[in-house]
Amino acid sequence: MIRHIIRKELLENLLSLRFVLSLLLIICLYAAIGFIFVSKYTRQTDDYWKRTNENTAAFSERAGQLYKLAFYEQEIWRKPKPLSLCVEGFERYLPNYFNSSLFRTALPEVRSRSNFLLPNFCDIDWVFIISTPLSFVVLLFTYDSFCGERQAGTLRLILSGSIPRHKILLGKYIGAILTLGIPLLMGFLINLIIVISSDIVKLGSGEWLRIIGIALISFLYLSMFLLLGMFVSSRTAHSANSIIILLLVWVGLVVLLPGSGRIVSDIHYKSPSLTEFRKKIVESKDQIFREMRTGKFGKNAFESHPDRNHPSNNPPAAARFWNAFFASAAQVYEQHYNKMLTQAFASRNFACISPAVIYQRASETIAGTGINRCASLHQQIKQYQQDLKEFILSKDAEDPDSLHLLFAFEYAVGNWQAISNKPVDFDTVPKFQEHDLTLGQSMKLAIWDIGLLVLFNLVFFAASFVSFLRYDVR
Amino acid sequence: MTFKFTVGTILCVVLMSVFMPVLINDYQLRLQEYNENVADTQADLRTAKVYMNINMGGRYMVHRPPAILSVFSKGVENQLASSVKIETNTVPGLSARSSEVNPYLSVLPTMDISLIFKIVVSVLALLVACDVISGEREQGTLKLILSGTVARHQVLLGKLLAGQLTLLVPLTMSFLAGLSILLFSPGVGFTASDWARISLIYVASVIFVSAIYNIGLFVSTLTKRPAISLIAGLFFWIVFIMVVPNAAVYFATQIAPLEPEEKVDSQLELIQQKKQAEVEKIRGGIPGSGGNEVSDFYDNFQFYVLVCDKEGMEWRQKFHAALRPLYINYADKLWQIEHLHFKSLLQQKQLTNSFSRFSPISMYDCIMSNLADTDTASCQYFIDRAKAHREEFIDYLRVKTDNFSSASYFTQCTEADMAVYQEYLDGKMPEDDFQKWKERKITQVLPLDLRDFPQFIYQPSVAKSFNRIIPDLALLFLISVLFFVLSFVTFLKYDVR
Repeated sequence: MIRHIIRKELLENLLSLRFVLSLLLIICLYAAIGFIFVSKYTRQTDDYWKRTNENTAAFSERAGQLYKLAFYEQEIWRKPKPLSLCVEGFERYLPNYFNSSLFRTALPEVRSRSNFLLPNFCDIDWVFIISTPLSFVVLLFTYDSFCGERQAGTLRLILSGSIPRHKILLGKYIGAILTLGIPLLMGFLINLIIVISSDIVKLGSGEWLRIIGIALISFLYLSMFLLLGMFVSSRTAHSANSIIILLLVWVGLVVLLPGSGRIVSDIHYKSPSLTEFRKKIVESKDQIFREMRTGKFGKNAFESHPDRNHPSNNPPAAARFWNAFFASAAQVYEQHYNKMLTQAFASRNFACISPAVIYQRASETIAGTGINRCASLHQQIKQYQQDLKEFILSKDAEDPDSLHLLFAFEYAVGNWQAISNKPVDFDTVPKFQEHDLTLGQSMKLAIWDIGLLVLFNLVFFAASFVSFLRYDVR
Repeated sequence: MTFKFTVGTILCVVLMSVFMPVLINDYQLRLQEYNENVADTQADLRTAKVYMNINMGGRYMVHRPPAILSVFSKGVENQLASSVKIETNTVPGLSARSSEVNPYLSVLPTMDISLIFKIVVSVLALLVACDVISGEREQGTLKLILSGTVARHQVLLGKLLAGQLTLLVPLTMSFLAGLSILLFSPGVGFTASDWARISLIYVASVIFVSAIYNIGLFVSTLTKRPAISLIAGLFFWIVFIMVVPNAAVYFATQIAPLEPEEKVDSQLELIQQKKQAEVEKIRGGIPGSGGNEVSDFYDNFQFYVLVCDKEGMEWRQKFHAALRPLYINYADKLWQIEHLHFKSLLQQKQLTNSFSRFSPISMYDCIMSNLADTDTASCQYFIDRAKAHREEFIDYLRVKTDNFSSASYFTQCTEADMAVYQEYLDGKMPEDDFQKWKERKITQVLPLDLRDFPQFIYQPSVAKSFNRIIPDLALLFLISVLFFVLSFVTFLKYDVR
């Protein structure tokens, strides 16, 4: 019997105006984002390799003298990812440029060809389409599941037979999810065909698995709205009331609640302004400067006569002073950066009262894009600078003419041969390479969000079930 | 008396009461930051020892106060730099503010009051309008009404007026709730111009709601079942609020692509190189080695020449007299290239605005940001004012320093000081004595008297904002009328059975 209900639901939905409209909307949107992605990804990849090659070339020029490697400010760009097709994770507005040397890591910046005068709209990707317009379309499929049939009088007819209520509920749910699966799978396929046929993206087996993972989470998210629709439908007597309630709930869950994170960040986690940040930098540098004048780092710590053996020079004191000078600034940078990240993560965690944010976050984690990736990239760059420092020190240890003092004043380090001036084989120099999390690690991180989506599904299913059991069909 | 009206009205008022205090708090924080910036600049000016101090390292900055009405629409205010340097080396230009805000917060959408009107009130308007005709047809009451002597146009007009008056209730209530909270918040005060803007915001909101209602009314006259008209209406709503604004950005960036940043950067670098070459030429062209000098560093690593010898004095006077006009000249050249780039950004923006006029929601957005003084044109007006102020600043420096050739540009050193320094250089004065003299001299160097320093005046005009919103407002009104006419035509042929 349940098959009959599923069949009836499927046919009813397939022949409805809402199905035609949603099919058109989904196919048009997925085709459009496919073409947009192809042109965008090509440009981004070209830009990335051009900039990265320029950076490597400039870095290799420094290999003529070992000490110069330490003072090269590397320009590291975030690599475009093929899975940004599924979820870009607002990367367009997140820092993509990291400038760092052994002694200084500047705050990550957003540098792009995009026009800052244009409004910051959401990135149109799979996840955006599913989390926003599609979640609404889903509600249109189920808002009249029970109240609509009650109004038409068909629900009374069905229940007059021997079919138990839970079978009707299950049949309606399966019918609706199958109806929804058709346009959604068509959209995914059209989008992937456009992207793959363009030959700009090569998807490996790991990436295919991630895409399947995102598709499954998408179904989980949409299923939640479907069940929400059924629940509200089973709580109301008129379909007009049901759609109004659902519309307002949708506006709240998908549009307003994600913005609530901003409210929290504005009230509790406001990171210091740039003026305050700059003031702190100047203060910290002033402090070290004053300490230097009191002789804390040793005599003549500020002297830098080009002749290493000049009596006014005191290389160990200079090394202590300059390292303290830059370390104090680096600490302020790090604190500011951490505050910015804390603010963003805390706000986002709060915004997770919206299922749309949970879904976005889970998808980003699986795809390896978004804010987590940017934070991880920053950490990896810091680790890389540490590795480079160790490499320079180990190479320097081989030079008997060197003073073996690495400090943040290139002029003095070069003139005094505080670090070896000898050339180094560039092939042996560590180069930065971003490491992605494995699929297993990504899944592990996303498990809480997936669990929450499953929980929402179970709660709404149970609520619909209980509510429908007590539904007055008259 | 309907459920949807009650829920919609309560939601609007609650949302307004929740969002407004948060937005006011954000405004107050920005105002506090602005006040601190202004105070810092004033402090820097007060401590300047020579004119060079106010012309170097971006010490003198002008700041744009945050717009109080940004609570209604944030526009691009937070995306653009609100402080610009006033100096001879650069000409102020509109630039991104990316480094001044937390870029990681981009993962969360920005909220303002226009969002409540754009989303909640527009949905409410559609809900009210979508079953006005088709709903009555389904219930059979439309047949009853039309069987009497009432003409169809009277029915439709009645529906229009009743619907719009109904929608005015949640709109006005939420507006008044928000305004009351704003008015009674500490540190918030309105000028006559702000009141004019607020009135216009209300009028624009009424026209917007009316346009959305009429679209819903038209859809209702096209269909026979309220469920279908609601689905079709909401489909259009999604297109208006999501598809059109995003598509407008996409098409604008495709039709008018920006020149690669590298190209602009290389042009700028070429000019910088030429400038550097000319600086070296000037440096080499002045006879002498530059003499000797002792500088004093004070707050924030600012410095001035405390004392120098005669050769050093002459050399520096000639150097600055030749260098500053050169810098002013090159600042203009650099600005021209940046301005060309900026014009292409602006062209993209205008194209986006033109495309987004397919959506009444985008039009309303433009109107709101214009009236809130947070749109691009308002920010550009600030930059224009800063540019004009830079001209006044340069004229002031020219007058005070005899076109940068006077010693007062870089030092307060007198003939007598030079004589003491010469004694020291000749070895006639012991090191310790000179150090004591130097310490005493530093305390004698007084800050500049800047009472006649030109003041930066920035007063946004409500008339200009009004001029800018006229096309969008007129278009929105036209849409409203057009959809009512369409509803009228369709309703005349409507089958009430």
